[in-house]
Amino acid sequence: MRVTKGAQIIAGSALLALAVAACGGSDAPEAGGSAPATQPVRVEIAEPQHELVPGNTAETSGAEVLNALFIGLVNYDAEKKPINQIAESITSDDQTNWTIKLKDGYKFHDGTPVDAQSFVDSWNYTANGANAYEGNYFMGSIQGYAEMNPVDPDGEGEQVAPPATATTLSGLKVVDNLTFTVALTNPFSGFPTMLGYTAFYPMPKAAFGPDGKVTEAYGKSPIGNGPFKMAKPWERGKDQAISVVRNDDYKEGKAKIDAVDFKIYLDLNAAYRDLQAGNLDIMDQLPAEAIGSAKAEFGDRYIEQPSSGIGYIGFPIKTGADYAKNADVRKAVSMAIDRKTITETVFSGTRVPADDFISPVVSGYRQGACGEACTYDPVKAKELFDKAGGASLGAIEIGYNADGGHKEWIEAVANNLRTNLGAEVTPKPVEKFATILDDLGAKKWKGGFRMAWIMDYPSPENYLKPIFAANASSNYSGFNNKEFEDFLKAGDSAKTLEEGIAAYQAADDILLKELPYIPVYFYQTNGAYSQHVKNVKIDPFERIDLFNVEKA
Amino acid sequence: MGRYVVRRLLQAIPVLLGTTFLIFAIVYALPGDPLQALAGDRRVDPVFAQTMRELFHLNDPLIVRYGYYIRDIFTGDFGTTFRGLPVSTIFEGKFQVTLNLALMALIIEAIVGVGLGLIAALRRGRWSDTGILAVTLMLVSIPTLVSGFVLQLVLGVQLKKSTGIDFFPVTGVSDGWRSYLLPGAVLAGTSIAYLTRLTRTSLMETLRSDYVRTAIAKGMPRRRVLGRHALRNSLIPLVTYLGADLGTLMGGAVITETIFNLPGIGQQLFTSVYLRENSVVVGIVTVLVLIYILANLIVDLLYAVLDPRIRYE
Repeated sequence: MRVTKGAQIIAGSALLALAVAACGGSDAPEAGGSAPATQPVRVEIAEPQHELVPGNTAETSGAEVLNALFIGLVNYDAEKKPINQIAESITSDDQTNWTIKLKDGYKFHDGTPVDAQSFVDSWNYTANGANAYEGNYFMGSIQGYAEMNPVDPDGEGEQVAPPATATTLSGLKVVDNLTFTVALTNPFSGFPTMLGYTAFYPMPKAAFGPDGKVTEAYGKSPIGNGPFKMAKPWERGKDQAISVVRNDDYKEGKAKIDAVDFKIYLDLNAAYRDLQAGNLDIMDQLPAEAIGSAKAEFGDRYIEQPSSGIGYIGFPIKTGADYAKNADVRKAVSMAIDRKTITETVFSGTRVPADDFISPVVSGYRQGACGEACTYDPVKAKELFDKAGGASLGAIEIGYNADGGHKEWIEAVANNLRTNLGAEVTPKPVEKFATILDDLGAKKWKGGFRMAWIMDYPSPENYLKPIFAANASSNYSGFNNKEFEDFLKAGDSAKTLEEGIAAYQAADDILLKELPYIPVYFYQTNGAYSQHVKNVKIDPFERIDLFNVEKA
Repeated sequence: MGRYVVRRLLQAIPVLLGTTFLIFAIVYALPGDPLQALAGDRRVDPVFAQTMRELFHLNDPLIVRYGYYIRDIFTGDFGTTFRGLPVSTIFEGKFQVTLNLALMALIIEAIVGVGLGLIAALRRGRWSDTGILAVTLMLVSIPTLVSGFVLQLVLGVQLKKSTGIDFFPVTGVSDGWRSYLLPGAVLAGTSIAYLTRLTRTSLMETLRSDYVRTAIAKGMPRRRVLGRHALRNSLIPLVTYLGADLGTLMGGAVITETIFNLPGIGQQLFTSVYLRENSVVVGIVTVLVLIYILANLIVDLLYAVLDPRIRYE
């Protein structure tokens, strides 16, 4: 999942006074037939990158809106474990063939029932490569995906991919109205954790036109199955707000607020000004510059909790320079980084020091798992570095993309290494991150590089397999470890979530020893809300639980 | 006159073709894979990339892609962004916003700039002249970023909170013309300063000329001397400046649009250059060039109105 929030420059603070309710009325949505008389709750988002279709939404802003309109098979409890929502049960004997039973009585906004077919249709459409949906890769673990998404044999260039031999996933079978089965290509015990994500929402029959394609009208005004429904169609590129109203026929009861306006902002600072002026109610990410003063300004209406992102410094450990290949040097580098100072000063508290490869937002995270290797200890670091002959291995390069606000922290890390290790360090700015990824892919990149990961689904597996498994799509370090793979396999085929977590943690321990990447910081969610609302909660996907938000 | 206009418009065609190709080539030459930029920090999904490459002809050489682009334009299709938003939709919604903003800025700078320049020229050497010069110096030196945030905070946020007056919207375009007041003033800042000084110099020069002295000598009322003879004759450099400024204001509104959350083309252009969305960048720039050409044509025609000695055949 990508984060579509920017950050810019701001200073200054003021105490939020009681805003006069009548003042903010000018940006209320145009009242339709059944529009509520009261002010909607106004939530900040960036412009969703696509029309509002679950399968084509892989960024946080679109997901925020769809989260109000749709509910999935599962939701997540306080421990970030999946709990069944539409699903009655999700079971499997071998972790490969899953049977999903649905609860009866859930309905789409157009009155049609949420049945097994609505899930299967939606997933098939997303999995179809010809539709170029951003959520396509989420279906990659289901049988039949390869036939629908033939890969160009030489990557790009002369040859073209063979035509797809299927248009539906062979792994999906509808058993009856409320039951369907899913066959995966490999066992995966964490499969239920994926199912609460946007890409797995169902779509009603009405979404598809006579040609079998999702209609343009549906993308503007999606018919969901959640606690809110669209108040009017959203014209992408034109409308600066997406308006939804309460769905009074929602099976789980009525939401406590009548309507929500998702206001589109280009820049977080502009949104923050509106929040201060009382023109906005909820922001789930504040601009970095405002965080220092926001705590005092918003008091208990300020939200601070871990989010799913991790920032690393990575090394190509097989094909890189000598220092990159040396595990002791990598450990010394890790120990020489003053994570606490960097997160507090460079990031003004929007990050916290990382101490595991698994993020605190998923169950399976162990506080301090990284131990000595992630603890700032310049003396020991220097000893280790000298013992490994670090100084003779050449200047340490750390590449970063100059367009993403990474210069400050990379420079800070470089200074740490210079002072603490006596190493020669060259921060290497590159215009775009894509350049680094291209060079890494072509094995041309020799030095260190900045890296980040945001989870797709709240399972520890998602922090290990896609990044460090031998032939994973995002394995840039070249890490390849037999024992690690075995633990991953054990985790994937574990009988229960808990058993799986234990195996994943064992795999995590190997990473912590080898340090192909050095975990530097965890991202944080820093949000705030106005005096007009209360009971604002944000889930691990950084989505607001609007069903339970109340007017204050 | 009519033939002159037609000739000028015909001259615009090669300019437009040249510009589109140049911009297209520049965006093409930017380093990095556009689809990777689209995917952010994550490796772009190969299947998705493959479909997109075919859809947007990304594997073809520059000249072929330009050919496709021009062919599509002649069929009325301006292309789409990588995220499937038609460029024509962007034109509809976003150009209006930026045009409104630029026009508001132009009005503000014309009124304030010419007004201040007039006062400064008439009171040359006195404290008000010196004061105005000091103010213009300040306007030139304060970056848009600073003036934008300060005006937004003081007139947008604080005024509403301390007095309840909700006249200046903090962000957005939902309040009609009022939405453009603050951003327009911010955008006009530097131009106000230039225009003030230009007016002052130009007017002072005219005031020293023989025909003004004659007019005063024969007892013509001062107001008539100023309005009829002096000001009208000093307007030519001002109109030239304002005409050229419209294009600059439209193209240079990125920061102002960002601060005040105005969904204009400045922001779109920035994003599209970043993502290397050729069709969007070329589309926007072409329209900007067109506006520039038209504004200059209007300026040239205004010359004839202001100075009857100028004739176009």
